[in-house]
Amino acid sequence: MSSEPTISIKERERALIDRARAGDRSASRELVDQHKDRLYAFIRRMVHHHHDAEEVCQEAFLKAFASLDSFSTEFRFSTWLFTIAYRVSLNHLRRKKALTGDMDFTSLRYTSGDSFFTAAESEEAGRLRDLIWSAVDQLSPPQRATLVLFYRHEFGCHEISRIMNLPVATVKSHLHRGRNRLGELLARVPDGQLQAFRNRSGLAG
Amino acid sequence: MNCEQAQQLFDAYLDGELSPALTTELGAHRLQCPDCRRALALLEVTGHVLSTDREPDELPVGFTDRLLACVDEPRKGWSHRLPQRLIYVGVPVAAAAMVALAFLGFFDRPSGEAAGEKAMAPPSAQLLQGITKGNVASSENALRIDETPVNEQLLAEWLERTREHIAAQEQAGESLQKMMDMTILQLLDVLQQAQESRGPLRAPGEKDAVTAPPPAKVSTQDVEDL
Repeated sequence: MSSEPTISIKERERALIDRARAGDRSASRELVDQHKDRLYAFIRRMVHHHHDAEEVCQEAFLKAFASLDSFSTEFRFSTWLFTIAYRVSLNHLRRKKALTGDMDFTSLRYTSGDSFFTAAESEEAGRLRDLIWSAVDQLSPPQRATLVLFYRHEFGCHEISRIMNLPVATVKSHLHRGRNRLGELLARVPDGQLQAFRNRSGLAG
Repeated sequence: MNCEQAQQLFDAYLDGELSPALTTELGAHRLQCPDCRRALALLEVTGHVLSTDREPDELPVGFTDRLLACVDEPRKGWSHRLPQRLIYVGVPVAAAAMVALAFLGFFDRPSGEAAGEKAMAPPSAQLLQGITKGNVASSENALRIDETPVNEQLLAEWLERTREHIAAQEQAGESLQKMMDMTILQLLDVLQQAQESRGPLRAPGEKDAVTAPPPAKVSTQDVEDL
């Protein structure tokens, strides 16, 4: 799914990293500005709360800059950043679970049948999008991370395996189980709503 | 192709890894089977939403500036997590400070002139060694070295002070043990209280420490019995 970066992009990234390693503040700024929105979007989906996501995002960047010398330019910088962000996110979720005893607080939403299915019966595409994201939030952290990295951030299974430090087969298993779980969570979405969305989105072939 | 076979191909189809021949077969089954048609449509819509939706929240303005400031001065990044840092770092530091203060004799200082007691320097190591061995001559030698005239009354007072000193150290040890079970906030309160009053350290809920009795007059015989 992901395309290999062209040589010029890779070379430019390598030059930026070299400058950042040498203490060039403008290079560091460019690296942050290039990746912060994608990284924050991923972390936001992992930790749910936007204040927590900002803190985790900052921590991930700080860890990255602190160990910039150990980064191998053989890989994409974004893969490395997401690797750090995924681990910091998991640590954050573990700490949160230890403090509150309830990590997956988003499961409180849309679990009482009436609100879920009433919303699902709405014909508004926006409501369907909300339902889908709510279902994604109810997945386990590894399943959620796999799906978001795969679809939202267009990483291939090999890159995701690097980011999550898992075998490729396990990544594919998370992808499969995550899709199945989404199918269960969204089982009551009406056919008409699905078809209408597909038509509007150009998915219908 | 039946439904079970079709469902086994869903992932490869969605990932674009299915061969053209199998894609055609799956497409044919999809046209015939409403359940598989719906399941695939749901997965396609979900993938589309995940791929194309923008995040509802964005990073606040100034994130990059704050981050780079933290890179330059890492300590600045700690400020917003002070409570956690206080717990992780503050407890060991405060405990270490308490131990250090106890060894320096901070907590068993006399409470001041109000008690009508005079602070007295502890006996020298040489004098203490001699007294411990019950060797009064040694004490006398030490006094001579210090060019202090031999005074039995003064020696008795020193001995009494030594006993008080040991008792106070034991009391400080007990207080430290109690402090190990205290929370950081209780610890800070007690530390502040101790600094203000310069009195003996007490754990919350601890009854007033028994005040050491005033130095009793000891005879020369008592000294020799030591």
